[in-house]
Amino acid sequence: MEPQKSVLEMLGAKKAFGGVQALNGATLQLFPGEIHALLGENGAGKSTLLKALAGVHKIDSGTITLNGKPFLQGSTRAAQQQGVAVIYQEPSLFPDLTLAENVYVGRQLKKGKLVDWKLMQREATKLFKELGVDLDVNRIARGLSIADQQIVEIIKALSINAQVIVMDEPTAALSSKEVNRLFSVARTLRDQDCAVVFVSHRLDEVFALCDKMTVMRDGATVGSDLISNVSESQIIKMMVGREVSELFPKMQPILGDVVLKVENLCAAGQFVDVNFEVRKGEIFGFAGLVGSGRSEVVRAIFGVDSYDSGSVSVDGMRLSKGKASKAMSAGLALVPEDRRLQGLLMPSSIATNTSITVLKKLVRALVIRKKGEQEVALKWAKILQLKYASLNDAVERLSGGNQQKIVLGKWLATDPKILIVDEPTRGIDVGTKSEVHRLLSQRAQEGLAIIMVSSELPEVLGMADRILVMREGRQVAILSREEATSEKVISLAAGAGIRA
Amino acid sequence: MNFFSRALRIRELPGLLGLFVIYVGTGLINPRFFSPSVLNDILYGVAIVAILAIAQTFVIVMRHIDLSVGSVIGFTSFLIGDLSSQGYSLGAVLAVAALVGAAVGALNGFLVAYLGLPSLVVTLATLYIVRGIFNQVGAGKTIVESMVPKELNWLGLNRLFGVPYLFIIAVVLMVVAGVIMHKSRAARDLYAIGSNPSAAELVGIPVKRRILLAFVATGAVSGLAGAVMLARFSSASTQSGLGLELLVVAACVVGGVSIAGGSGTVFGAVIGAILLQQILLSIGALGIPQFWQLAVNGALIIGAIGLDRYLSTRVKPSNIMGAES
Repeated sequence: MEPQKSVLEMLGAKKAFGGVQALNGATLQLFPGEIHALLGENGAGKSTLLKALAGVHKIDSGTITLNGKPFLQGSTRAAQQQGVAVIYQEPSLFPDLTLAENVYVGRQLKKGKLVDWKLMQREATKLFKELGVDLDVNRIARGLSIADQQIVEIIKALSINAQVIVMDEPTAALSSKEVNRLFSVARTLRDQDCAVVFVSHRLDEVFALCDKMTVMRDGATVGSDLISNVSESQIIKMMVGREVSELFPKMQPILGDVVLKVENLCAAGQFVDVNFEVRKGEIFGFAGLVGSGRSEVVRAIFGVDSYDSGSVSVDGMRLSKGKASKAMSAGLALVPEDRRLQGLLMPSSIATNTSITVLKKLVRALVIRKKGEQEVALKWAKILQLKYASLNDAVERLSGGNQQKIVLGKWLATDPKILIVDEPTRGIDVGTKSEVHRLLSQRAQEGLAIIMVSSELPEVLGMADRILVMREGRQVAILSREEATSEKVISLAAGAGIRA
Repeated sequence: MNFFSRALRIRELPGLLGLFVIYVGTGLINPRFFSPSVLNDILYGVAIVAILAIAQTFVIVMRHIDLSVGSVIGFTSFLIGDLSSQGYSLGAVLAVAALVGAAVGALNGFLVAYLGLPSLVVTLATLYIVRGIFNQVGAGKTIVESMVPKELNWLGLNRLFGVPYLFIIAVVLMVVAGVIMHKSRAARDLYAIGSNPSAAELVGIPVKRRILLAFVATGAVSGLAGAVMLARFSSASTQSGLGLELLVVAACVVGGVSIAGGSGTVFGAVIGAILLQQILLSIGALGIPQFWQLAVNGALIIGAIGLDRYLSTRVKPSNIMGAES
């Protein structure tokens, strides 16, 4: 291959926030026509690096050059004009505006002094067509699936003729079908000579999609190579800086009596005839594609949503439907799927978030004991091995992995009999992931019954004693640990006739 | 997507339907309601609230609010009368009115955009501050008809093809503001800011400057509206414009300008204003005690917000593969 000129080069970038050195010698070199994986644990500095490219942050020292010229930093608009587009983990579309306007927002196409809507619709339609995505450019963005929102963001990047397109964990919330579409879009971009940066925690995706990879740790680049030159375990070792002994520390379960019994549970339009039992000390997995009804079932069991018929009983006692408070006093706890929206009060402190579920126990003479709050928080911070400066810090300032630990902690603090975790390790790094897994395994050993919903098949296979597979709202099988192989679960989840 | 579901998305539609149903309904019960003089009363009476509602739309689409407009319009209507009775030309006093409004708007905008204070509180404060200054300046004085510039008196009394000039002013403003809101980049930025403020920053919209600009525009238009108010009432005192701001916000909401920001048009705001004015007259025509008018306005607001919520949850989610079925 002839030597190519790099399109973007970051050398020795440093950036500090207060006392925290977020970037400490980050280096990244991108070439046109490649898909480049940016890897690293949460808190390794990937987000800061991305934001420097997006023009949100200015680096303190080091250089960024684009096509050999210095990259104008510190302005999001300037970054776009120079041809760098960043697609954030949570897409930032404007829900009330049409897709066409979303693509051109802030730089709407004009005829003379006025915005030319017709032209904008035509151009946007053309771009959607080029990517082979069938979306009505005149619909508003509200109600778009996350996958479709990302597509709009990509179209936006194309409309500015971006040379560098950065995608921050784009697959975290996608089903496998959607991931495939995203991959083909990414390859299209590569073939058009874009440099695509792909941030993901799923190494299988990295191997399937990327040409090159750069690994970051503690704000610095620790290595960069062709994907074909490295193995999965090498990458993990680079990311963690140590050997991760076992990703899914599974211990032999000590099964007790049945604690949760679900019979003939139905909810119109969501799921039908769900039947299963969970024993004390058991980890019960829920597998299936996104949208197969897994989350809906566990939400109904916990009582956040109602159901039409069937029953849920804990220790032989029937729970009244649609009452989460009853479920909680019966010993159920739910760690929801989206920690940002459902699980955490982002601007509040670690202490408040950890103790919120046990406030009643902390009240003395109608007042919440601040000391009690701190004690609870400290206890769980230790158990969870939380990384924090002060328990009074706002949760939104922590990394994703640490946030997830707090969500877990706040529910474990209620000392539940049955813990339901929905996507417990989504978007968190391998190191934290294995800590979460170890924590769950330990709790199960102590007699906790755990229901685990997860889109990551290796996680379910590695952790669960039994696995319930769902497809389009139906329970298609309950597999024992021995029976469950990834091929079997995939073919059950995707439907007969589809070969994995 | 069929015609019906597309029509349901038009945010002004409920207001228009309400307008039509109440007009026809009242007229069927009391045929005198169909007389041209009632229509004239509605159009004549609505001009002030309509203009203020147009101005208010600029800030509401950004997910902000400006409560100071009632004090501003009252103050400038007084100033216009007071200054012209001292011999200043109409052009000069109108410029003063616009500048006073713009200055209050600039203060609001600065505090909201650059100090990050909530607009509800900031403009509540400037509502009192402006009214307080007004009370000082206007203590013991009342503007009477002889002090009103003759051009304004003429505008207040005359019609073009049977349509009151004051309403025509509102319509012209609506068309101009409507085109700007739909077709200028700066105004489109206001919608983006209201729809998703943090994303607006990320795409490089100068959010602070835009917020400041919108508040200044709202203030300036509200200040100029003082002339319309003076033309209508031919008098002004420290009581002028008292409590008008809430009626203005109500008109916007009823007309489909989302209080959560991001959507709504000046056309809708005017429809909302007309609807509220029409109800006032309709209640009279139906022999219902005037007392009920306020209650009906309240019910309309709740109805409008409820409908808005219902319609926005009905927006179809996209299919996994992006195909619209």
